[in-house]
Amino acid sequence: MATAHHDEHPAGLMRWLTSTNHKDIGTLYLVFALIMLFVGGAMALVIRAELFQPGLQIVQPHFFNQMTTMHALVMIFGAVMPAFTGFANWQIPLMIGAPDMALPRLNNWSFWLLPFAFTLLLCTLFIPSGGPAGGWTLYPPLSVQGGMGTDFTILAIHMMGISSVLGAINVIATILNMRAPGMTLLKMPLFVWTWLITAFLLLAVMPVLAGAVTMLLTDRHFGTHFFDAAGGGDPVMFQHVFWFFGHPEVYILILPAFGIISQVIPTFARKPLFGYESMVYATASIAFLSFIVWAHHMFTVGMPLAGELFFMYSTMMIAVPTGVKIFNWLATMWKGSMTFETPMLFAIGFVMLFTIGGFSGLMLGIAPADFQYQDTYFVVAHFHYVLVSGAVFAIIAGVYFWLPKWTGHMYSETLGKWHFWLSVIGFNLTFFPQHFLGLAGMPRRIPDYALQFTEFNQWSSVGAFLFGFSQLLFVAVVIQTVRGGKKAEAKVWEGAEGLEWTVPSPAPYHTFATPPRIK
Amino acid sequence: MPMKNLPEAQRRAIVRTAVTLAAIACALFVYTLWRGMK
Repeated sequence: MATAHHDEHPAGLMRWLTSTNHKDIGTLYLVFALIMLFVGGAMALVIRAELFQPGLQIVQPHFFNQMTTMHALVMIFGAVMPAFTGFANWQIPLMIGAPDMALPRLNNWSFWLLPFAFTLLLCTLFIPSGGPAGGWTLYPPLSVQGGMGTDFTILAIHMMGISSVLGAINVIATILNMRAPGMTLLKMPLFVWTWLITAFLLLAVMPVLAGAVTMLLTDRHFGTHFFDAAGGGDPVMFQHVFWFFGHPEVYILILPAFGIISQVIPTFARKPLFGYESMVYATASIAFLSFIVWAHHMFTVGMPLAGELFFMYSTMMIAVPTGVKIFNWLATMWKGSMTFETPMLFAIGFVMLFTIGGFSGLMLGIAPADFQYQDTYFVVAHFHYVLVSGAVFAIIAGVYFWLPKWTGHMYSETLGKWHFWLSVIGFNLTFFPQHFLGLAGMPRRIPDYALQFTEFNQWSSVGAFLFGFSQLLFVAVVIQTVRGGKKAEAKVWEGAEGLEWTVPSPAPYHTFATPPRIK
Repeated sequence: MPMKNLPEAQRRAIVRTAVTLAAIACALFVYTLWRGMK
């Protein structure tokens, strides 16, 4: 029986503090991510408000630097990663026919580390020396010289790292040990596959980041000289260690997005995903390649020519499996009976705009060209096309896709479509002009700029406010759907396939107490 | 509590997987520090 023991759950605050239920913890992760999206978004708007005109108008340069640093840390570790973990918690057990995550108590702890980590990080804005201001990459010597805020940040990163590693262990243990009988690895939904591979990436690189920031901490307080050239250390070593974490981190932020899109597009194209196995192998190839491309982030530090060439070619190779994915999504849509509900609109927006980010990434991966682009707004435009129209659009697509299953109600399609079009227009208005700013030579992370950059910056700031405020519409749709609306059926979408659509909507508190049998 | 119904062999497999992965994570952290000290 798929839905035994449904609706037995504690009530009130204790339900959320002590919950070991994958759906409750998934909800906690998603709500936390939404709050952090707005915290990080507010910081982005401070940045864009300051950059509306040349000169210093609103904030002091030191505070501006804190905003760029904190915006990145909050969005990466507080918004995107927890959102995907929220999806993993809700969907993986439902998709593989498991009653819960394999380690439910550990799951609770993984989540509850995060509010404390981010309290620690955000409270640095209120201490005398301020928050970290040397960029989210925490490069020495700035990070060694920074105030107490850097120590808080290091501790916060440790807590986030422990949370991520525990979450990754839980995901792997669940997928490897809790699949319903008959669900072989190559029968798993692609979202589950992408999360399995992401979890291995997390497990491999979060300890490396922890090692890097630990060395930073001992350089700051315990007399070591890991990164201090005066003491025989090497600041460039930090960059190598950091980016050995940092590049796979980029794929940690995008592979689950690929998984969501691979669920959404076949549903609304009413066709099975084209090239399922090649999608799995492409995901694994991207994950493998992500470990051997890290130094493309540091072409300009001075490397032997052979090193530059190795990292350039290995970076360009990633375009091959990524191209396979884009091709497969397009081939899935080809001659499909497509309809354009909000999740599909965000998925198509993802495919088009992420591809732009992929191509600008290819441009940045070409070493001699990168010498021109390094540390300019071109880089800012590139990674926002990957992370906003990539990761964030996929998250939004996923929320609209599964919200009826989670809440039992249909969302307002009209408001969803308004949200999509305002987001697409606002996003492109914000970030497309930044390509031109970067190519014209505007450096990133500066509160003031030369007069000739004014017009594109004004477009960008107007777009940022449009994009930012249109996300309030998203919150309104989510709240409205949680509170009521048209009843959702078990199989919410006509073309939906998979175990999660066999349970009622909303999904009962306990599902698959007895595992289903997969043919 | 549907998780209480899991067979003992499955419970052991879960713990084995989790402990192995945790050991790998700890080893990578120590290895990073050790390489930093070289």
